[in-house]
Amino acid sequence: MSLTKNLHPDEKYKAGKLGTQMTLVGLGLIAGMGILSLILGAVHKGPGGEDDHFKRFLYAYVTSWAWIASLSIGMLWLVLLHHLTRSRWSTVVRRIAESMTGAFPIIWLAGLGFVLPVLFGYKDLYYWAAPDAAKDPAIAHKLGWLSPGMFTMRYVIYGAIYIGISTYFSKKSREQDESGDPKISISLRRASGPGMILFSITTCALAFDVLMSLAPKWYSTIYGVMFWGSGEIAAFAALGLIVLWLQRNGRLVHSINEEHYHDIGKWMFSFTFFWAYTAFSQFMLQWYGNMPDETVWYKYRMFGDWQWVSIAILVGYWAFPFVFLMSRWTKRIVPSLVFFAVWQLVFHWLDMYWDTMPQYDWTMVGNHNAGPLAGPIALHHVGFTAVDITVWLALIGFFLVGTGRGLKGNLIPVKDPTLGMSLAHEQL
Amino acid sequence: MSDPTETSEKPATPATPAAPATPAAHDAHDDHDTPPPGDGDGNGNGNGQDGALYGILAQYDTPGELLEAARKVKDAGYSEFDCYSPFPVHGIDPAMGIKRTILPLVIFCGGFVGATGGLLLQWYCNAYQWGWNISGKPTWSIPANIPIAYECGILIAVLTSFFGVWAFNKLPQVWHPLFRSDRFARVTDDGFFIGIEAADKRFDAEKTKALLEGAGAIAIENVHFDPDPANKQMPKWIMGIIIASTAFALVPFAIAAKARNTKSSEPHWNIFPDMDYQPKAKSDQADDLFPDGRENRGEIANTVPRGWLEADETFYHGLEHADAGDSWTTGFPKQYPDSSAVPPDLRGQPFAIDMRLLKRGQNRFNIYCTPCHGYDAHGQGMVPTRVRSEGGNWDARNLVDPSGPVVQMPNGQLFNTISNGYAKMMGYAAQIPPWDRWAIVAYVRTLERAQNASHDDVPAADQGSIK
Repeated sequence: MSLTKNLHPDEKYKAGKLGTQMTLVGLGLIAGMGILSLILGAVHKGPGGEDDHFKRFLYAYVTSWAWIASLSIGMLWLVLLHHLTRSRWSTVVRRIAESMTGAFPIIWLAGLGFVLPVLFGYKDLYYWAAPDAAKDPAIAHKLGWLSPGMFTMRYVIYGAIYIGISTYFSKKSREQDESGDPKISISLRRASGPGMILFSITTCALAFDVLMSLAPKWYSTIYGVMFWGSGEIAAFAALGLIVLWLQRNGRLVHSINEEHYHDIGKWMFSFTFFWAYTAFSQFMLQWYGNMPDETVWYKYRMFGDWQWVSIAILVGYWAFPFVFLMSRWTKRIVPSLVFFAVWQLVFHWLDMYWDTMPQYDWTMVGNHNAGPLAGPIALHHVGFTAVDITVWLALIGFFLVGTGRGLKGNLIPVKDPTLGMSLAHEQL
Repeated sequence: MSDPTETSEKPATPATPAAPATPAAHDAHDDHDTPPPGDGDGNGNGNGQDGALYGILAQYDTPGELLEAARKVKDAGYSEFDCYSPFPVHGIDPAMGIKRTILPLVIFCGGFVGATGGLLLQWYCNAYQWGWNISGKPTWSIPANIPIAYECGILIAVLTSFFGVWAFNKLPQVWHPLFRSDRFARVTDDGFFIGIEAADKRFDAEKTKALLEGAGAIAIENVHFDPDPANKQMPKWIMGIIIASTAFALVPFAIAAKARNTKSSEPHWNIFPDMDYQPKAKSDQADDLFPDGRENRGEIANTVPRGWLEADETFYHGLEHADAGDSWTTGFPKQYPDSSAVPPDLRGQPFAIDMRLLKRGQNRFNIYCTPCHGYDAHGQGMVPTRVRSEGGNWDARNLVDPSGPVVQMPNGQLFNTISNGYAKMMGYAAQIPPWDRWAIVAYVRTLERAQNASHDDVPAADQGSIK
């Protein structure tokens, strides 16, 4: 037993055609599901049978866009954390995490799907863009910040920051594959601190802009942290699944073992709890504070049909995985980890859905100015539709195209000074 | 130091088989038949006194050799042995055949018990034993109890893990036979050791030694118990500190218990006297510093504090000035004063009884007056209702009773009552500015009118429909 190991001589660590395969699957999903979504979105009717002008489509688009964005955001955080804390276990999976952050340009391109309509005058997605918003004193003073032009500008800035940080870290990491220069590790460690600060502020602001401003009267300062924590669960789940897929294709079979899966599982577990902690903090303060402008967001989700989604998230996204991922063995036995990874990915989507979709419902049924519960609660329905799912699949396509783009060359940082320790990594 | 024979062949100090450890001094490590004491090998402490044989200690050069040796010892069927190293050696547990600890499971149970206990504690205190009706809120509501339950879960889980580690490691134990070996001191530096206890069923002085040597030991020695049972006990001064601090920790409880069960005419204790008696001036206190003996410096002669002018007697005090004496005004002020106490757009404007005033009055009334007087002003608000439900008595005046005093009151007197209070009612001048008080007066008048309306008040066109 030694503290470091050399890369196995038979290890296949070149991506080969796998990245292209992933990209092709992604393109297929975009083409098939994208067209289907557009058709379904065009024919979708509001609850009263009226034409909803792609409103459902765009709500589903924002939901699933937040889902794919959170995967890359989550992995960018892992890369930053890896350098910040000089982690060792994660060296073997860092290149794959970097590939997932390589999806940022494609994800931001995909996001134009809802940003451009807003910029060019679509009023129904974000209520603050609607003409009535200016009449509401609780929203009117926010319209300087929440205006289509400002919104688009910030969207571009966020994208530039994410793409900038992720490109810098991936590029330097690949440079080290060639030169093996340990100074690169040191310079990345220096950059990771400021990078983490910039990352945190950007992620919070992104969550406020894209998700929280769907309900422009409501506000919560912990919202961005909650979005990030929830996304981190899914990001680690996705990382585990991509690693498994690579191993099934004969890559990295000697390098990544249950010790590393165990750590991926630990992160999933800890963020399952972290997300629940922040989500409960937000709920608890607003519930106890009992201020109408805050509780209205929860009242909508606690009564009527939506309460069943809330309960499903409480049990499915927190209680069940929390209890079962606590055990060492559920994280070390790969099929069990895969089960929880898929499970949490689905529930992360439901969590995003729970964040966004009630606003759709409320703007369709309620009078926004009078508040979301102006109409009887019985009128409000969860109303899962096919377009929610097809848009999700199409956006997964964007994520796969972006990640496939990054899966090229070495799948492991072959000359990273900590690689040996990462290969020999063992859980005590 | 590296020659195994050096230690083994060191001339034995004359082993005095005196004072074989008494059974009472045995601990968990040696609850077996004591092998014959003093087999001729020396312990490094050089006191010339050896108790029963504890076991054989072998030193290895590297963690890898230690791991290998541990595997061999396990494969030879030994179970009563342990490995000692300066740092955690990966893979030592499976090499020694140690199963994973059940500590995590115990901690989970501790956390579960803590969280459940926290919930039960809150239920017992808040909902079952001493339920308080606070503004009609339920005494038992899960979300409010989660933080405490969570904290209790963490607390008990952490305590379980802390004391669990002690218990599973058979701590506290203030001595160990291995500490009698000088060589063993290297275990905190660069020494890797295996100690096989004589208590093991397969232990055989010669065969065991041969096994350890065969596994590459660089030094081997026999280790004996300390013959003096006193050295196996917790030092008396540590016991003294534990007992004293435990007793000291009980003092507050004893004082509280005594205070609950006895009567006393002594003043209560000031644990923090500087908090109870703070060196600061309050307006109603006496003070030697100033010649008039008061803390309160009062107003400076010939000045009026900003916003205190209140020249308009009617607006600020509800009074109608007359040479014969002031009386309560029966109407409303004629004009808003040009003062910062009034909203900017009303300053200097004529006082108008309009919808804005009534809406404002309704809003303020609902905030400040309804807890006692109720939304309909019948005096049946939440406070009287709750006091009655607790068996007490609290009457709030019915403001709209046609035979009651309020309906007869001039507006100025009603304004004055809101400002300065009446009987149990405190004045609201501090919370409600004058123009809001007038708005409330107008709203109360509206309520009186509405509650005591007659059929004739209904517009002629509608009279037929409700006759």
